[in-house]
Amino acid sequence: MKKKLAALVLTMTTIGMAVTGCGNSASTQKDAPVAAAEGESSESESAEKEEGGAETADKIIIFQSKAEIQDQLEDCAEAFTDETGIEVEIWGTTGDDYQQQLETKLANDQGPTIFTQQSGDILERLKDYCADLSDVECMKDIPEGLTADITKDGKTMGIPYTMEGFGIVYNKSLCDATTLKSTDDFINLIKEQKEAGNEGFELTQEDYFLIGHILNTPFALMDDPDAFIADLAEGKSKMADQDVFKEFANMMVDIRENCSNPLEQNYDGQIGDLATGKAAMIHQGNWCAGMFADYEFEDAGMAPLPLAGNDKLAVSVPYYWAINASADAAEQEAGKKFLTWLYTSETGKSYLYDQFGFVPVIKGDVNENLDVLSQDMQSYVEAGKTIGWNMAKWPANSINVYFAPLAQEFFTSDMSADDFLAGLDQAYADAIANQGN
Amino acid sequence: MKTKKILLNVVLILLGLAYLFPVYIIVVNAFKNRAELYENILAFPKDASFKYFTKAMDKMDFSHAFMNSMIVTCISLVFIVVLTSMCAWMLARNDGKLSKFIFMMFVATMLIPFQTLMMPLLQVLGFFRDYCGIQLTDTLGGLIFCYIGFGTGMSVFLFHGFIKSVPVEVEEAAIIDGCSKLGVFFKIVFPMLKPVTMTVIILNVIWIWNDYLLPSLILYSKKNRTIPLSTANFFGQYTVQWNLAMAGLTLTIIPVVIFYLCAQKYIIKGIAAGAVK
Amino acid sequence: MNARKKKEAAWYALFVLPVVIVFTIIVIIPFVIGVGYSFFSWDGLPVHEKTFVGMDNFVRLFSDSRFMVSAGHTLVFTVIAVVLINLLGLAFAIIVTSRIKVRNILRTMLFMPYLIGGLILGYIWKFILGEGLKAIGEAMGNTGLFFNWLVDKKMALVALIIVAIWQMAGYIMIIYITGIQGIPDDVLEAASIDGANFFQQLIYIKLPLIMQSFTICLFLTLSNCFKIFDTNLSLTGGGPNNATEMFAMNIYNEIFKLNNYGYGQAKAILFLIVVASFTLMQVSITKKKEVQM
Repeated sequence: MKKKLAALVLTMTTIGMAVTGCGNSASTQKDAPVAAAEGESSESESAEKEEGGAETADKIIIFQSKAEIQDQLEDCAEAFTDETGIEVEIWGTTGDDYQQQLETKLANDQGPTIFTQQSGDILERLKDYCADLSDVECMKDIPEGLTADITKDGKTMGIPYTMEGFGIVYNKSLCDATTLKSTDDFINLIKEQKEAGNEGFELTQEDYFLIGHILNTPFALMDDPDAFIADLAEGKSKMADQDVFKEFANMMVDIRENCSNPLEQNYDGQIGDLATGKAAMIHQGNWCAGMFADYEFEDAGMAPLPLAGNDKLAVSVPYYWAINASADAAEQEAGKKFLTWLYTSETGKSYLYDQFGFVPVIKGDVNENLDVLSQDMQSYVEAGKTIGWNMAKWPANSINVYFAPLAQEFFTSDMSADDFLAGLDQAYADAIANQGN
Repeated sequence: MKTKKILLNVVLILLGLAYLFPVYIIVVNAFKNRAELYENILAFPKDASFKYFTKAMDKMDFSHAFMNSMIVTCISLVFIVVLTSMCAWMLARNDGKLSKFIFMMFVATMLIPFQTLMMPLLQVLGFFRDYCGIQLTDTLGGLIFCYIGFGTGMSVFLFHGFIKSVPVEVEEAAIIDGCSKLGVFFKIVFPMLKPVTMTVIILNVIWIWNDYLLPSLILYSKKNRTIPLSTANFFGQYTVQWNLAMAGLTLTIIPVVIFYLCAQKYIIKGIAAGAVK
Repeated sequence: MNARKKKEAAWYALFVLPVVIVFTIIVIIPFVIGVGYSFFSWDGLPVHEKTFVGMDNFVRLFSDSRFMVSAGHTLVFTVIAVVLINLLGLAFAIIVTSRIKVRNILRTMLFMPYLIGGLILGYIWKFILGEGLKAIGEAMGNTGLFFNWLVDKKMALVALIIVAIWQMAGYIMIIYITGIQGIPDDVLEAASIDGANFFQQLIYIKLPLIMQSFTICLFLTLSNCFKIFDTNLSLTGGGPNNATEMFAMNIYNEIFKLNNYGYGQAKAILFLIVVASFTLMQVSITKKKEVQM
């Protein structure tokens, strides 16, 4: 019996390896059409320029990750079909497993025409699937700074959705967080609020809201964040040696001592606390304004997290529209047509600004219908008071898999600031070590 | 004695209700907005209007999704029940090495975590599309085909276990009477399997009806969405549109509850029939 | 003789082959392909190269402390959950097959949790075992036992076990019911005429006669508990500090979060070998104790 089992295992293994090997060659074959399609598209483009008529498919598929705009996008797609005759199909999505679904579909050559793309390690991973959009008409009206992160090897592979920013979101009837000038001011305000019986400041259990976003601040405050990240990756620098990180770790200890345990709070509850006046400040972004409506709450504002005297909001473009480079040339062309329409036509823009509530990324455009938090953010952008997002530059999934467990340990124990920093360094090193295996 | 019995019944019902406490949370919160839910998750809703239900139904394209789910569940089920019961009977009655091997193969593969099969499965389906011209992705037929494959293990396992306790003599008598194997199976064996068939049906219906992962992998287009897929939009990355999600969930489980109540009657009937015989 | 054998074989094929073919296409072939990938270092995207690394992925497993820790949690979780689910499921089955008046409604009630699939259960229980317990603790002044279990490493595992039991006990009950009702009435009647009381009937007649249900239920609970994923993800997300990260979630993270497809497959295969040896052992032990009728 045992012998047979061993024989069986052996055969299975051999067959498996053979099949996988075949899959390998098949996949290289599959790559060929991609390359061919790219070649074709540039050929057909040059042909178009001569003939002046583009060959476009009559149907495109959109798969995107922002569940909040899904319904509006469907209406928008209908409007586009009415105007151009190109049919648009929108695949349903959940915020949670979007990336996994996208990748399995792309990997099996059944990808959508247009999809949501992010910068950083996800772009590095999927760049072969992202068509170059430099030649799309609206691109020239988008400031270069907004597309820098999605540009690689001279190709701009995405059109920004909107701008998003995070920092302190505060309840104006309880405090004014814009007056905070230092970490000490911040901690003192938390203590004051605590004495008054309120929650001073809330983080929550979700990985990004627990550690991801707040850890961005010390990174962004380094003189040259990119160089620092490169040094970290090579083990040349340590967070534990940087003053701003030391101040950050001490601030986190103060937060732990003076606020309730973030692991016992979730995003929904946090917004409830802010809106009902139980919490003075939370660490959030302009996206949470959408949840205020049910509370009939508008008295909120945004302010920078004043770590080491920081007076800037962390603003970036987290999502981009990308076009699937492995789709037919005609389909890609239709996809570009949709994006151009969305960002340049009057109907398109009305959806973008009025329905999706996006902060304009096109030079000269103003959206007068922004929510309270986005208005604050927009004024910081106009004043040039912004710092970048570094989360996407960290190793793949470092937040979920490495930083979050550490932060959970930190908030449920009496880990010291030094140990916390050492832990962050270790987590970062682990994440680097696990990359690309 | 009698009061003791009544008391026992009352206690049992109360325990049953306590057991269903989470279901209560689901239902009441289908009627609340975010502010109300934040205020008190347990409280009775202030406004008992069904507006979130109609909104959820509208957003889910409920009738369409319902039809798709019905088609997939029913057809998969017919195939699973007929094919696996036949297979299990043969395997149980011919207890040779081959049968043992096939049976063990079914059983062992039930242990594979589905997540590791996802990518290769799509490759296999892609192979059928590219080389055989059979479209298995984004079609209800393809989904049904997959359900038959994934449903096999447990169903054969359940039938196999039950068939062993069914006396062989009747079958042998029928064969001597000149009945073909097919005849013996459908005329004599299959009716005797009624209780376990009902169990197989119930467990498979619930699994297929509620399954999210497999359809999310295989179906993309809106026209093919099943009910669990159509509620997916209510789930954002960090928050859930609780009222719509709870309403959607309630709408999803009502058909299964009705089905279960009907099926339950048949279990009892099946047993009664068995007892008479 | 030969013709008869051929005919037998044809019947065998007719009954067995359809299922085997579908099953091979849907489960076996993908599985074999997956086994193949476990010898490669690959991130799961066909445009990226696969590098053959031989047994490296498997060697690496044994020094992967996080995987080993998660294996430990899974084992503890599975053993406790399997025992409790089966005890409770059997108890439920015995109650609802007795002559109690409310048995029908009770059966529906106990089965209800299984009707609600998926992630949302985890979210609901998260509220009950998190905020709910905390509120109870504060109200009763007993914060030693009643606090947010999900932030405590040990209690988070307990929470996961409770939810798993709640969800699966009713499901297992259904299979035990089938078994109990398969017992011929005349046997039980004979026993009660002979003066056997409820417990004697249970221990000497019912339990031995439903051995095949035990085989099935133990196996199903074992495999379901080992594979637990949805509840794990939505209830604890593996936290706090990975204290409740089970096998399936660890594998899922490796494949879809860390993009180590080949390594993730290697984990899955090791996992399968371990679990298969456990459960097949269990099946062959309990099968021997079954009573043929």
